[in-house]
Amino acid sequence: MRQVDAWRPSRRDILKLGMAAGVAGLTGLAGCGAVPAKPDQNAPQLRGGVYSHGATGGGLKDTLEPYFPVTNPDIARCMQLYEPLLRWDANYEIEPSVAESATPNGDNTQWTLRLRDGVEFHNGKTLTAEDVMFSLGKVTDPQKPGSGGTELAKILELKNSKIVDPKTILLQLNQPYAVLDQLLAEYTVGMLPTDFDVNRPVGTGPFKFNRFVPGQLSQFDRHDNYWDGPPFVDQLIIYDFADDAAKVNALLAGQVQSVDNLPNYLAGTIEQQGASPLISETGAWVPFTMRVDVAPFSDVRVRQALRLIVDRQQMIDQALNGFGILGNDMYSPFDPAYAKDLPQRVQDIDQAKSLLRQAGQQDLDVELVTSSAVGAGAVESANLFVEQAKKAGVTVRLNKADANVFYGDRYLSWNFAQDFWNTRNYIPQVATSSVKGGVYNETHFDDPTFTALINQAKAEPDEAKRNQLLHDAQKIEYDTGGFIIWGFKRQLDAYSNLVQGLQPHRYLPCSNFGFKRASFVTPPT
Amino acid sequence: MTDLATSAPDVSTAAAPARTGSSGSAWVKWLARRVGLAILTLWLCSVLVFFATAALGDPVRAILGKDYASSPERAAALAAELHLDQPVIVRYFEWLGGLLTGNLGNSIANGFPVGELVGDRIVNSAVLVLISAILIIPVAFAIAMISANYRGKRTDGVIQVIMITLAGLPEFVVAILLVALFSTTVFHLLPAVTIAGGGAPPWSKPASMILPVLTLVIAVAPYVSRIVRSSLLEVLDSDYVELARLKGVPERIVMRKHALLNAIVPGIQVIALQLAWLAGGVLFVEYVFSYPGIGASLVDSVRNSDFPMVQVLAMVIAAVYVGINLVADVLSILFTPRARTAISS
Repeated sequence: MRQVDAWRPSRRDILKLGMAAGVAGLTGLAGCGAVPAKPDQNAPQLRGGVYSHGATGGGLKDTLEPYFPVTNPDIARCMQLYEPLLRWDANYEIEPSVAESATPNGDNTQWTLRLRDGVEFHNGKTLTAEDVMFSLGKVTDPQKPGSGGTELAKILELKNSKIVDPKTILLQLNQPYAVLDQLLAEYTVGMLPTDFDVNRPVGTGPFKFNRFVPGQLSQFDRHDNYWDGPPFVDQLIIYDFADDAAKVNALLAGQVQSVDNLPNYLAGTIEQQGASPLISETGAWVPFTMRVDVAPFSDVRVRQALRLIVDRQQMIDQALNGFGILGNDMYSPFDPAYAKDLPQRVQDIDQAKSLLRQAGQQDLDVELVTSSAVGAGAVESANLFVEQAKKAGVTVRLNKADANVFYGDRYLSWNFAQDFWNTRNYIPQVATSSVKGGVYNETHFDDPTFTALINQAKAEPDEAKRNQLLHDAQKIEYDTGGFIIWGFKRQLDAYSNLVQGLQPHRYLPCSNFGFKRASFVTPPT
Repeated sequence: MTDLATSAPDVSTAAAPARTGSSGSAWVKWLARRVGLAILTLWLCSVLVFFATAALGDPVRAILGKDYASSPERAAALAAELHLDQPVIVRYFEWLGGLLTGNLGNSIANGFPVGELVGDRIVNSAVLVLISAILIIPVAFAIAMISANYRGKRTDGVIQVIMITLAGLPEFVVAILLVALFSTTVFHLLPAVTIAGGGAPPWSKPASMILPVLTLVIAVAPYVSRIVRSSLLEVLDSDYVELARLKGVPERIVMRKHALLNAIVPGIQVIALQLAWLAGGVLFVEYVFSYPGIGASLVDSVRNSDFPMVQVLAMVIAAVYVGINLVADVLSILFTPRARTAISS
């Protein structure tokens, strides 16, 4: 049996770190030689130790369900236990995972999956095509589709799909779908064995289940036969943290080696105390949403005027504490088809005024509905918008609604409001937000030319041609859409300088919760 | 040597043989009345808790949030699970019945029985409060005695300034200062949060409990010590203490035997109030230290609109409040000879 408490940072390490931090804190001598420096990411990595991660949020809703993660720690747990067929790499591009390849036929209606050899579940069983069919059936179960299976269920025809041999599956779709691989790379479509039991969860991920206390912690052991190289540490514990201060204190006191979702204002201070921020780009956005089917927003000139009113840089600086990337009223910035060539929209009050005059709305007076429930940056950017609109003579009345009201009866029918979206590529995003029938189409956008372009793109096997179609679709949204997308958030996490191996990642926080690549910098004692 | 403080009960016990039966039944009657009142209070609390949580908006909407619009099936299922089709009075009595028989219902957030979810956490919180209380009482009395002993001198002044300062600091400031001092910024001696148990009870790693306990002691002890000090001073100025001094009883014994016993009663009352406050105040301290008690659960349950959990936790806190006050009342009576005789005669 493996020694569980094989290694924790020794008392001396902690004292060293602490004294150094104390000196830095008391004298304000940031970066004086004694503070442990940022680890050399290229140094050879050491084995052993118990790695603790502080995850933000969590609570009684915590679950180990592979297809229904609710809280942020749930996502972190999913990433340790289960693996999808394909996965997102650090640049938000698809790479093979437990499947070696996923290739479409000529018209994108059939996809062939090839499984990797020797992928082993935590219980020692080898992953087979049957497990994959079982998992896909479970995630797209019409009675209870998983959060990653809703879109998949609409296009996948499992009845007509078949197992060709134990390593090969032919997936039949009911419509052409060019980016099935993107849906299969979501962390919510992990592969399970056919005898899966959530009380003893088994997957193919780098860590295997040990114990789980909802709202407190989950504990995992290294999966020694992990196909992608076993993790460096022996054991992983993910703690729930309800309070930001407690989370950061635990990091600085050496009780956890990393935390996700560090408050932006702390990025500078932790560097003086033996920890490093981990900053990643993301495609997450907090747009203003204008309903294109009700006055005054039904007039495209009004929508464009409001887009020109926004000082995007100011919003990033003040609403996101500078942790953002400029937005150009289009989403999915990491999609290969993202229309980078369209000119960056900047604040232009004269142009906005002129557009409003043409629309007969020079004294425009609108209500903007916001809520702290929308997430970080929402209420702040709404306040900024009120100020910025004044310059163009537009009166914006701010309605700060409670969560229950904001996401209540009138959610998805507010005339002018906000919402939050996480990183998605273009086609999956359009399906939920920008076509008739999209579940969260808060702008009520429904442009026949746009929808036709999207449908054409879904069936187009040639990537260059497909991207051109998507580019044309984005141009329509750029010119007439109902979103004001002023920026994308940067993700801020942090790790102790006593560990190495965490890298910025565009998909999920804290290096894609990639603790399999983390290791302690000092050898086990 | 006789002193006035204990002479009254002596009289009553001297006459006791004749009156034992009636004084015993008087005590039972008195106690029954207090317990009855406590139960009445708790019942009123249950009405308030239930109607406050059941009447605040549509629970299903609150629970589902963004998903309410997109999944009407889940909304219907939840409404059925919460028995929202029944009148609120019926739901109240069903809930009360469940509460009394230990059937606490299931959490909405994860479907587990509430009893299972809160059991360990209530124990953890109780241990935290209990350890703090055990430390608070001697610490507060010791400080009060030293202070009273040096009344008007510099020592007293310094102690009083420190006590007022500490009493004025909100407990979250105390917590942050303690963590910065002992865990993160200055020294690196103690764990900053109570997570080290790896799921085992927090006291399995005693070091991780030091800061939460210390925070509670610092938050509560100053009040108690100030109240005890002022009642000590009152007693020290009284005629019978003066008489004891005149009779040549050493000051040390005057303080311990004559003054302290009589200052205990107001002390008990203020300790009870503070302990009752701890039952709620501990929530914040637990939050800051990630202590696995009821605090995080309550906050989380309120956020999840998890009514069964909120109701049970609110009732637990109310019960602690009422219970501590009941115990304090009984103790005060026992320590007040005049009140004691008033009941038994």
